[in-house]
Amino acid sequence: MSEKISLAHGDGGELAHQLIQEVFVSAFEHHEHARLDAALLHVPSNKLAISTDSFVIKPVFFPGGNIGKLAIVGTVNDIAVSGAEPLYMTVGFILEEGFLIKDLKEIVTAMAEEAKKANVKIVAGDTKVVERGSVDGIFINTTGVGVIKEENFLPRKIKEGDSVIISGTIGDHGVAILSARGELGLLTDLESDCACLNRLIDDIMSASNKVKIMRDPTRGGVATTLVEICEDFKVAIEIREDDLPIKPEVEGACDLLGFEPLYLANEGKLLVIVAKEDEAKVLEVMKKHELGIDATSIGHVVEQGEGKLFLKMTLGSRRRLNRLSGIQLPRIC
Amino acid sequence: MENFKATKITVKGRVQGVGFRPFIFFIAEKYAICGTVQNNMDGVKIIAEGEVSSVAAFVEVIKTKPPRIARIDQIKVEEISFNNFNSFTIIESERGGKSSLVIPVDTAVCPECLAEMEDPENFRYQYPFINCTQCGPRYTIIRELPYDRPYTTMSDFLMCEDCKKEYDDPTNRRHHAQPIACPKCGPTVTLSSIKGEFLSTGKKAIDETIKYIKSGKIVAIKGIGGYHLACDAMDEDVVQRLRQRKKRPNRPLAIMAGTVTAVEKVASFCQKEIELLHSPEAPIVVLKKKENDTLPEAVAPGMNTIGVFLPYTPLHKLLFLNSELDLIIMTSANPSGLPMLHKDDEAFTYLDGIADHILSSNREIEHPIDDSVVQLVNDEVHFFRRARGYVPDPIFTERDVNGVIALGPQQKNTFTFGRYDQLFIGPHIGDMGSVEVTNHYLNEFLHLEKWMGVNRVVVAHDMHPQYETTKLAQEMKASVIIPVQHHHAHHVACMEDNLLKEPCFGLILDGTGYGEDGNIWGFELLYGDAISFKRMGHLAYYPLPGGEKAVKEPWRNAVGLIISQFGIEEGKSVSATLFPEKQREIEIIATMIDKKINSPLAGTCGRLFDAVSAMVRTCTVSTYDGEAAIRLSELVSEEEVIDEYYPFELIVKDGIVQISLKNMLKEVIKEIGQGKEAKQISLKFHETIVQICTSLLSEATKQNPFLPKKVVLSGGSFHNRYLLTKLVKALKEKDFQVFTHKKVPCSDGGISLGQLIIASEKNN
Ligand SMILES: [Fe+3]
Ligand SMILES: [Mg+2]
Ligand SMILES: [Zn+2]
Ligand SMILES: [Zn+2]
Repeated sequence: MSEKISLAHGDGGELAHQLIQEVFVSAFEHHEHARLDAALLHVPSNKLAISTDSFVIKPVFFPGGNIGKLAIVGTVNDIAVSGAEPLYMTVGFILEEGFLIKDLKEIVTAMAEEAKKANVKIVAGDTKVVERGSVDGIFINTTGVGVIKEENFLPRKIKEGDSVIISGTIGDHGVAILSARGELGLLTDLESDCACLNRLIDDIMSASNKVKIMRDPTRGGVATTLVEICEDFKVAIEIREDDLPIKPEVEGACDLLGFEPLYLANEGKLLVIVAKEDEAKVLEVMKKHELGIDATSIGHVVEQGEGKLFLKMTLGSRRRLNRLSGIQLPRIC
Repeated sequence: MENFKATKITVKGRVQGVGFRPFIFFIAEKYAICGTVQNNMDGVKIIAEGEVSSVAAFVEVIKTKPPRIARIDQIKVEEISFNNFNSFTIIESERGGKSSLVIPVDTAVCPECLAEMEDPENFRYQYPFINCTQCGPRYTIIRELPYDRPYTTMSDFLMCEDCKKEYDDPTNRRHHAQPIACPKCGPTVTLSSIKGEFLSTGKKAIDETIKYIKSGKIVAIKGIGGYHLACDAMDEDVVQRLRQRKKRPNRPLAIMAGTVTAVEKVASFCQKEIELLHSPEAPIVVLKKKENDTLPEAVAPGMNTIGVFLPYTPLHKLLFLNSELDLIIMTSANPSGLPMLHKDDEAFTYLDGIADHILSSNREIEHPIDDSVVQLVNDEVHFFRRARGYVPDPIFTERDVNGVIALGPQQKNTFTFGRYDQLFIGPHIGDMGSVEVTNHYLNEFLHLEKWMGVNRVVVAHDMHPQYETTKLAQEMKASVIIPVQHHHAHHVACMEDNLLKEPCFGLILDGTGYGEDGNIWGFELLYGDAISFKRMGHLAYYPLPGGEKAVKEPWRNAVGLIISQFGIEEGKSVSATLFPEKQREIEIIATMIDKKINSPLAGTCGRLFDAVSAMVRTCTVSTYDGEAAIRLSELVSEEEVIDEYYPFELIVKDGIVQISLKNMLKEVIKEIGQGKEAKQISLKFHETIVQICTSLLSEATKQNPFLPKKVVLSGGSFHNRYLLTKLVKALKEKDFQVFTHKKVPCSDGGISLGQLIIASEKNN
């Protein structure tokens, strides 16, 4: 087999067939579906959760993962935070002519591994090859299907006093990617937190029936995700600067670059809003899970300020946080 | 009746709630004038009948000797037909007219009240809340209008018979003095430990406060507009302790001096500055520090000026009487990010760990307000901060600005309301970065809006997409919302401050403002009026790596400037010689600039000053707004004369003049390498800016010979005395008519005025 992807790998001919057999089918093990044009699936519920996402990350390989792992994790998490159990996935690749097949194999292997860990089956796929320069190496789209049990329907009504919990340190993925780009010199060798959250979520959902809503704070970070919750559900949330779990490496990198950890992407972190009375219970089960060891309560739902997110500062004042808005321009006069 | 005359006299200005009617009553009796005096929505209306010469004398006294806190903007005398009054009376207010009703301002204790307070025979002897129609709190105690005792925080106190008698007597100087009080019926002071334990009250509380201050303690004292933190200014240890506790390492602290004689110990001043200190507004006046003064350096580190004010409440005065204290640090008690503390429970919560004791009182403050800060430059009053004593006094415009509201900028915020030909500039709000400040803003804003009866039609705000006021504008109910470019607002604020309407040049030297091209502006030559402007010239952009971080840490900004001028490799090595301790960071900053990561482009005067300040190592990290630039400017004096400056180039690109500083930078770096003193470099740099600005204007007039040679100077950098003084002089020598700010600050405290005028004109 050749070393690099060529346009012929995408034309449906012999080379394409080879690529599918050697790279995809062997990794994803979906022999039976491969014979039909569509995957026929059984689902144990009449309520489905479907989510789709495209991944275009740079660099393709980074400490703690690669674009393939991320493509699985991103979609699995989007399904899981809705309260559903992710079951099936489709994957679509757009490859740039000249992309290394070795790299593609590594990416596909990571996908297969991650899907297995998450107990999700990859049931359909597609590959296109485009001319050099039309994409940057590799783009992946994934679509996931999950089922949801009636007793797990989210969101539940958010109330004043509800607790806001984060499953671990914030901003790790953002800083890992920045470092991995190598442009900035080595900021830190921190790994991305990239991980599937569905097992952790299972445990939380079985421990408490007072979880109000869950989100994975990816692009835009914890702040943007919480602002969206505040706006969508017309509630006000206050988080506490002092209680935010942030790794020293992340703090250091942010200090250098003038970024705020609250706005950095995470790929394996979970935000849970839960009734105050179940806070301790949920924290306990989270801490038992390897992805939730550093779980901590960072804030709560407050009465005043519908639609707004506040940050209680160490020195006593409160700052309003807004969603990430492109480049942060100085406001200091 | 030949020797007799009947006249109608209308007086406009600050003539209500200032004892104007009793004053008129008093002089009418003196000159045997019959008739009436009444308040109406336009001001005060007087009908005066009497001998021709008496009427003339009467009018003359109104003009020349009005009550201390009255301000007459206009007086009109018309002859009318006789009504044949046989006495003079104060009559019921009239609810007609275009409503120029004003809200009275808080005023420093008057000499008459002080004399009574120091008279052992007087029933208000040593009473810390003595006041009259000519002095005392006003704006700060008003709950609702009209300004009448039941609608103030004094409603909690029932007037005793003695006070009531004075209050009702039209000939008494306390006639209708709403906050009238005495030891029997009025508020009292209470001293507590910071944990809230009661210690003492009344005179004993004041005596103990003095004792604590003298023994090196920090006492929080409730004044007119809020709490201050007080300690002995001559005690270096306690000043340092205050700085540590307040987490304010360098920001200059203001000093309250018992008397002008005490001021002499630490500062030098002229007659006009004494008048400012003694004025009813009693602002903090920034004075030149005396050479070889005995003042601890910690009071105002790195500064050659010091902010001083005189006791403006009777309570303050009592702290100095018989105490042997003559200089007390009096700095507003606002914990980081919060408005000035004014509620007692908040004071106990937030000052725990900062103050040792609290001297409080049971007179509530409804509207907190900061001390005003002014300076005398070129013999004119120059505002740093317009607040207590001046707010909410209106200023007049020659335009109809009714229903227009301007929300102001992000920092040093003020807002402005327009009502017919009046502009009400709200109190200094400060940095809109916290929810508490935003709430304080909204509280003051909504109250004033209601009181003024302004019908909100047009709302103006800064163009910056991330300013808090931009968000507020979007949430406000108004039919028209107009975003205004920051420096256009500065330009027009200065035009309006001088009642200019025709297009003119505007030289705006400023910190940072959002530009129309999405970059950060702040060194601008504009030409235009309220409707539109053209950008004629500006400082060439360079990256600010880290955005706000580079504003707070000017050494980063310096690296940004150097790399932009010398390229990555040379820039890195030059930066490393200036900031050898930042080698690692410089590497990363260089990449940030190269890859355009979080490095917005800026061309601003304030940031340029910051960069030079960092390069000469006067200040590499700012601990308060503008510290680096301020400290660089404090190295020079406007009295110095220098005939050399650094080289610079003006390059015309797309019809806009760009200022290039590559050669200046080379020289500065060379001189730093040669060991030239920071002070010398600062002076030469200051002069370079003066030369750049005059060349910029000469170039612009050369290219556009038909434009009038008229220029307004605005933007925060004009707080810099050297720049202001020298530029005015240099531009006048080039036959420019030069206009500077008079009634509002040149910095962002004046922005809302410009926004309002622009929005008003654009909406017409
Ligand atoms: Fe400004
Ligand atoms: Mg997603
Ligand atoms: Zn008085
Ligand atoms: Zn009384």
